[in-house]
Amino acid sequence: MDVSQYLEIFLDETNEHLQNLNTQILSLEQEPGNMDTINEIFRAAHSLKGMAGTMGYKRMQNLTHDMENVFSEVRNGNITVKANMIDVLFQCLDALEEYTTNIRENADEGTNDNEPLIKQLNDILNGSDSGNAEEQPTPEPTEDSAAAAAPSANEDRKWTDIKLGDSEQTVMKEAVSQGKNVYGLTVKVQESCILKAARAFLVFKAIEETGEIIISSPSAQDIEDEKFDLDFSLIVISDAPLDKVIAAAKSVSEIEDVKGGAIDPNHVASAAENDAGEETAPAEPAKAGESQKSAAPAAPAASAAPARSGKKKADEKKTTPTKPVVNRTVRVDIEKLDTLMNLVSELIIAKNSLVSASAASGTSSTAVNEQIEYLESVTTSLHESVMKVRMVPIESTVSKFPRMVRDLQKTLGKKMELHMSGEETELDRTVVDEIGDPLMHLLRNSADHGLESAEVRKERGKPEVGSIFLDAYQDGNNVVIEVRDDGNGIDTQAVRDKAIEKGIITPEQAENMSEKDSIDLLFHAGFSTAKVVSDVSGRGVGLDVVKSKIEALSGEVEVKSKLGEGSSWIIRLPLTLAIIQALMVDIGNEKYAISLGSIQTIEDISPDDVKLVQAKEVIQLRDIVIPLIRLNEILDVESKKDPKENLVVVVVKKGDKQAGLVVDELIGQQEIVIKSLGKYISKCKIISGATVLGDGEVALILDANTLI
Amino acid sequence: MMDEELKVVGETTQFIVIKLGDEQYGIDIKFIDNIVRMQHITRVPKVDPYLKGVINLRGEVIPVMSIRIKMGLEPDVETKSSRIIILKLEQQGTIGVIVDEVKEVVTLENDQIEKIAYDSMEDKNSFLCGIGKCDGGLISLLDLNAVVMENV
Repeated sequence: MDVSQYLEIFLDETNEHLQNLNTQILSLEQEPGNMDTINEIFRAAHSLKGMAGTMGYKRMQNLTHDMENVFSEVRNGNITVKANMIDVLFQCLDALEEYTTNIRENADEGTNDNEPLIKQLNDILNGSDSGNAEEQPTPEPTEDSAAAAAPSANEDRKWTDIKLGDSEQTVMKEAVSQGKNVYGLTVKVQESCILKAARAFLVFKAIEETGEIIISSPSAQDIEDEKFDLDFSLIVISDAPLDKVIAAAKSVSEIEDVKGGAIDPNHVASAAENDAGEETAPAEPAKAGESQKSAAPAAPAASAAPARSGKKKADEKKTTPTKPVVNRTVRVDIEKLDTLMNLVSELIIAKNSLVSASAASGTSSTAVNEQIEYLESVTTSLHESVMKVRMVPIESTVSKFPRMVRDLQKTLGKKMELHMSGEETELDRTVVDEIGDPLMHLLRNSADHGLESAEVRKERGKPEVGSIFLDAYQDGNNVVIEVRDDGNGIDTQAVRDKAIEKGIITPEQAENMSEKDSIDLLFHAGFSTAKVVSDVSGRGVGLDVVKSKIEALSGEVEVKSKLGEGSSWIIRLPLTLAIIQALMVDIGNEKYAISLGSIQTIEDISPDDVKLVQAKEVIQLRDIVIPLIRLNEILDVESKKDPKENLVVVVVKKGDKQAGLVVDELIGQQEIVIKSLGKYISKCKIISGATVLGDGEVALILDANTLI
Repeated sequence: MMDEELKVVGETTQFIVIKLGDEQYGIDIKFIDNIVRMQHITRVPKVDPYLKGVINLRGEVIPVMSIRIKMGLEPDVETKSSRIIILKLEQQGTIGVIVDEVKEVVTLENDQIEKIAYDSMEDKNSFLCGIGKCDGGLISLLDLNAVVMENV
C-alpha cells in the first residue's frame, strides 16, 4: 500500500501522541493511582501502535505494543507504577521519537530494534503476576471505564443496552409471531485491528446472509465512520439458530469474540421504556442510540465514539474526564496563509487609498461614506480572522518542558520543579515555532546556573526543591513570556570579572558599569560564566543566540535579577507581525506612525509644567515623573510649533518604564501595514519600518521601545 | 562563421545613458527594473546623507539614494527631467537612484568599451567600471556595486 501521502499526517499525529504520552507519564509519576491518566496513556499508546502498523513501521509497532501491554497491566491493577518503570517508559518514548526522526528524515524507521527496552518492558510485565499477562486477554479501555463508573453485570451482553423505538419493537414482535428468532449480538473487534469500520462492515454483511439486522449500537452510520471503540452490538432477526449467526460473524478475520443471546421482544420493550424514561418514542436507530447513551452514562460505547451531541459530551466528561474534545480541523500550509495575509495587506492599503480619495474629491455623499465605513469594518475583521488562523497556543512548544526539567533534575542532581502558566496564550505560528529553542535555553540556564544545590538552598533557608516558573501572558499588543527561578540570581561582580578576563571589557569600563549593563554582558557572544562546562549549558553559545533569535522575531529580552533571590528573563514578543493599529502624528512636515500598543495616554502639557532634572526635561503626571523626548530633535526636523504653545505629549511605555514623546500634531488612528525598510537602511534603529498611506506616500513607523 | 556570430552577440552590452550635470553615464540595462518620475521622497532620519529616503513603488517601500552626493558632486536639483532609476541588485536588493535626465539606450560592442585600470587613484573613478565610446561622445560606465556600496 502506498502510504507516502499520509506520511506528513502520520508524523504530525505521532508527535502529538508522543507529547501527550510524555505529559501523561509525568503526571502518572506524580500520582501513580490516577485511573484517568492511565487510560489516557493506554489510548495514546494504542493509537500510536495502530498508526505505526498502518504505515508499516514494524519496529515502532513492536515497541508500542509492548508498552501498551505494560499500561494494560497497570490499568488492571496487576502492576503498580514504580520509579524505574517510569524511567523505562521515558526511554521508550525517546526511542519512539528517534524512530519518528528517522522517518521524517529518511522515510524509514531505521534498524534499531531497541531490544533492551523491549526486554525491560517484558521484565516489568513478568515481574507482575506470574505470567498472568499471557493468559488473560487484554480487556478494552471502554470496559474498564465502564466498570469503574458503574459495575455492570452485562459487560458481554451489551446488546441489552440498545434502546428500541416503536418501529423496531413492532418488527421484532412480528418476527416472533412468524416463528423467527430475535438475537442480540455483541461483536468485539481485536485490539490490533486497524480497519475497524471495514471489519464491522464485513460482520454486517456476514450476518445479513443469515438474517436481518434491525438495529445496531452505535448506529450503522457511526460504525461506518469508525466511531466506536472495540465492540458494537446488533439486534438480528433470523431463521437460523443462534450458533450459526455467531459463527457467521466470527468468520470475519480480526474479530476477537462474538457473544449472543435470544431476546424476548415483549420483555425488552418494557425494559427499554422504563430505562429511557422521558424518551417515549425515539424512531430512528441513530436517535435510539443516542438516547441510550444519555440515559445510561455508563454505557461502554459512550466513552469510545467521538463526541456527537452536547449531551453525550457531557456524559463523556463524567466517565472519562481527560478525553480530549475532538475538533474538526484542516491542516493548511503556512505559505498559503502568508499569501492570504499579503492579500489582506494589499486590501487594507487599497481601502486606505479609497478613504483618502473620497476625502480629497470633496463630493463624498453619505452613501459613499457609509459604504466606506462598512468596507473598513469588513477589512478589519478579515485581518483579525486571518491573524487568528495563524495564531496557535504556545502550549505545543512549552509542553515538552516539564519532561526536559525532569531529565535535567537527574543529570544535574538538583531538585527542581517547573511551574507553568498561560500555556493557552496564542502567538503567530512562525513565532511559536521559533521560540522553543530560546526558551529551552533559558530554562536550562535557570536550572544549571540559577538554582543552587539542595544543600546550599537549605543553608540559605530556601525550600530544598528549587522552582522554575514559565509564565506567558498577553500585554497589550505584546505577548510576554517570563522564565523565572528562585535561585542564586546573577552575580554581577562575577560577570564583570569574567568579562574582563575574556577581554570583552577593560577593568576601567567595569568600574563604571551599572548593574543593568553588567547583566547585558551575559548576552555578549562567547560569554559563559559557568566554571565547569556541563552538557546542559555553559558552552558559551547561548544567551547571545537567544537574544538574536528573539530580536529576529522583533521581540526583546529583559533581565531582572536579585542576588540570592533569583532572576527572571522577560521575553516580549509582538502579537502580530504585519498589520497594526497606529497613531499617526505630524512632526515638522513629516508624518510618523506610533504603534497604538505602546501608547498609554496622550496629554496636553503647558510649557510651564516642563521641569528640568539632571539637565533633562521631565513632566510630572499623576505623581509620576516622566522624561520628555522631543521627537523633532531626535529626528532632525524643525518643529512648526510655537514654543509657547501647549505641548502634545504621547506617553509610551515599555515594561514599567515610561516616556513622553513630544509631537507637533495628532492626525488620528489608522490601521497600517508594516513594510520593511530593507537591509539597505537598517542603521536607523528608531525607525522600525515604514507604511504606505492612503495617498500613496510613505510614512515611517517610530519604534517607541528604542526611544525609551 | 558560427563562431563570429556568437562572438558578436556575446560581446555587446546595452546601457541606458543618463546625465548627471554635463557628464554622461551609462548603466547596464540588466540591473534596471524600472524608471519612474520624480516623486515625494520620505526622508529617513539618522542615515548617511546620500540616502535620500524611501518611496512607494506599487506598494513596496524602496530606498532611494543620490548618486551625486555619493560621488561628491553638487546636490541634486529637481527638474522636470529628473528621474528615479530603480535598480535590482543581487546583494542590496531593490534601490532607486536619482539622475538628472535619462537620454537613450545604446548598444556597445566590446571593443567600444575601454576598461579602467584599477590602480587609478582618483576617487571619482572608483565608481566607474569603464568608458564607452559612442558616436564620437564618451560615456562613463557606472560600477553599480561601488555606487550603492554602503560607506563604512
